Amino acid sequence: MNYPNQKRVETFSIEINGQSCRAISGETVVDVARREGIEIPTLCHDTRLEPAGACRVCLVEVEGQRRLQPGCAWKVQPDMKVTTESTRIEKHRTILYSMYMSDHQLDESGLPVETGNGNQLRELCKTIDPLPLEPVNAPRAGRPEDVNPYIEFNPELCILCARCTRYCDEVEAVNAITLSNRGGETTIATAGNRGLLDTTCELCGGCIATCPTGALIEKKAPTNLVTLETEVTRSTCNFCGVGCQLDLHVHNDRVVKVTSPEPGETVNDGNLCVKGRFAYDFIHHEDRITTPLIRGADGELRPASWEEALEATANGLMAVKARHGADSLGFISSSRCTGEENYLMQKLSRAVFGTNNIHQCAAT
Amino acid sequence: MQKPNANREKIIELLEHAGGVTEDSVREVHEQTGIPEADIWGTGLFYTLLREPGQRIRLCDGLTCQMFGADSLAMELTEAGKAVERVSCLGQCDLAPASLDEAMELVTYAKHKTAISPPNELAMNLAGEVDLTYSALKKVKEMSPEDVIAALESSGLQGRGGAGFPAHFKWTSLRQQAETERYVICNADEAEPGTFKDRELILRQAHKMLEGLAIAAHVIEAKEIYIYIRGEYTNEYRAIERALEDSKAALQEFEFTIVKGHGAYICGEETALLESLEGKRGMPRLKPPYPTESGFRGKPSLIHNVETIACVPSIIHRGGDWFRSLGKTEAGSKLYCISGHVVAPGVYELPLGVSLDELVAAAGGYVGNPIAFSPGGASSGFLPIAERGLPLDYKHLADAGSMLGSAGVVVINDTVDMAKAAAWQLEFFERESCGQCAPCRIGTQYIRRQVDQFIQLGDPVTLAMTADVGWEMEEGSICGLGMVAAKPLESARKHFPDAFKTRD
Repeated sequence: MNYPNQKRVETFSIEINGQSCRAISGETVVDVARREGIEIPTLCHDTRLEPAGACRVCLVEVEGQRRLQPGCAWKVQPDMKVTTESTRIEKHRTILYSMYMSDHQLDESGLPVETGNGNQLRELCKTIDPLPLEPVNAPRAGRPEDVNPYIEFNPELCILCARCTRYCDEVEAVNAITLSNRGGETTIATAGNRGLLDTTCELCGGCIATCPTGALIEKKAPTNLVTLETEVTRSTCNFCGVGCQLDLHVHNDRVVKVTSPEPGETVNDGNLCVKGRFAYDFIHHEDRITTPLIRGADGELRPASWEEALEATANGLMAVKARHGADSLGFISSSRCTGEENYLMQKLSRAVFGTNNIHQCAAT
Repeated sequence: MQKPNANREKIIELLEHAGGVTEDSVREVHEQTGIPEADIWGTGLFYTLLREPGQRIRLCDGLTCQMFGADSLAMELTEAGKAVERVSCLGQCDLAPASLDEAMELVTYAKHKTAISPPNELAMNLAGEVDLTYSALKKVKEMSPEDVIAALESSGLQGRGGAGFPAHFKWTSLRQQAETERYVICNADEAEPGTFKDRELILRQAHKMLEGLAIAAHVIEAKEIYIYIRGEYTNEYRAIERALEDSKAALQEFEFTIVKGHGAYICGEETALLESLEGKRGMPRLKPPYPTESGFRGKPSLIHNVETIACVPSIIHRGGDWFRSLGKTEAGSKLYCISGHVVAPGVYELPLGVSLDELVAAAGGYVGNPIAFSPGGASSGFLPIAERGLPLDYKHLADAGSMLGSAGVVVINDTVDMAKAAAWQLEFFERESCGQCAPCRIGTQYIRRQVDQFIQLGDPVTLAMTADVGWEMEEGSICGLGMVAAKPLESARKHFPDAFKTRD
């Protein structure tokens, strides 16, 4: 039983596959199993979202329950006994995965198509000997006319787990996409099936990140990303002061894709904005300025070292102050600065140059 | 008081007023409510009465209407230049074939009228005089809530919507909730193929339903009562409006709201109904929590089928033991809908647990040579006519691998191809699946497809995997729809194996 108003936190033990596990009230079976290293497959589950229990992949046996129950949503109770491997569950998984395959684009090997974002369904299907079900050819519509530069939706790879729409609603509160239609016609849509640029979409790409099957992919990223040899480098996004962590996927010394670390690991909790996720072209852009430039007396910009550049700046500012007074200067810091950097900027303004003319571009 | 999400609750009705889902209407509703456009779009397209604006005839393709020539009628109407949409069961099986005209008014093609039981001493007494005194409600106000629930318990009243859950448990649970904001909700979303009992009850004895609801609200200390009625029930909606008008004085302390459905069978499932009431796509919720703990607006809610709640006033008047004694094998009298190959299709109130033969005797006898019957709507599958002596109650039918469900009994004679009959029912479930969970969404498509192929090709190999898929639908689906959606095929194959042998 779930008790939504339950407030007291209690610790107790439950049994999973005969193994005693510590559990905390409010947790689900999947929460506990994951901590204990017991594998329960999931597709529609994302720790940032309310459990939907919709993909049915995580069904387990709970003692006392006639029906199989979704481990992602089923709340733990003291002394509960859960079974995650049995002939019944094996049969359930075999038929369910086979049914997913009959509703999914398959490759020559007969498995769900692998995309640049992988496909978790494909991995699950590798664990079974599938039933030869004929394809159902569900009439799911996509948005082939959508010209947005970043996000592509392929309805043939969609399992309708609704992670993307729930993410867009529950995490981003943007509500640009929705489940639409019903039954076999159910699909992911926008109002009026408009392109994402004509909706409230902020192109954060969180829908891509949460999609388990690669039905949503980056238009920019190489399609063979999974098989491509890439090196992942953790970095900090410098588009603003939040400090979101990025994983840069690098191939041949070029960034080919940016993702967030897994939810729960870093300050951004698996989320990125349009800049962090997609605005990485500047890294390799030919117009990118890679050293300081000083304009000479002839009006031409010439590369300089940081020492030279800082000295030239300081001399220039001090000369203005000497001639016109401190209040003739004004300082504006960038919204890309951190709080600490903003602090230093106002200190520079007030303590070094002696003016209160200090502002930050995101302050108004 | 402004409720949280009050605007969300309005969007479906606003879309209806705007003429259905178009880009413009969605923008308009968005501007009126502030609800995101995508949410309005996705919600509107869930409901068949909203998703394709424009006027047309809606012609039923439920089992009985199909048995009585709905397909050829559709052809005739189309040839006459009419726009025709085939829709799921309209709840007019006794008058098959049936349709709604462009203004959503009922048009039926049967030569006879609905038959009902003559005036009697039973709980519903559909043909009896209308009682406007609301004396049971007055009596309840003199009783303790515990005594009312005790009467309900001794009556043995089980939920008449299909599940057969003892009614008093819900009332007791509601009274135990710490939350004091509580709701009474009447499920009048009657859409199970073969079922039209709530229709007759509302048309003839709506005050029994209203009084039952008021009694429930009094006992569980709720003020607001919602009646969710399927959008195709135009006459019945008006009947409830009229009844509320006529009982204003007696019911003044309660706040009644009638909410129209918009063409989604699944909204008869109680948690899907709650979603729909809240202005969302009618996708069933995971249970627990049950609506008695967390229902409408997340508050404790008592949800009853029309017939269940309409039994309450007679139980109050004449006692639980009296009601219990009306039954034959289980408690109470029961409204049985009967249609198909019988002489006088209609709604008959009989002791719960009569056999098919007894029911058909009340309905004037069989027409032709009966071979099969469906005892409780599409969800109950088919039984062979050999089971004609089986008590039509919750337990015996469940033991026989079927169910009483909503007691929508359809009799089928030897003029009908049982594979075809199964295919009609499967098509219904495929169309009405909400699409939320994979076993139901994919399974209903797969099974219907395979049976169609079998009918076309006559090769039983097309059905080789349907039993496995049906097993998963029952084991893995979220709600009852998916759990029973393979039943028509499974039961037809079990009881009528000859219909599924190789065909030339």
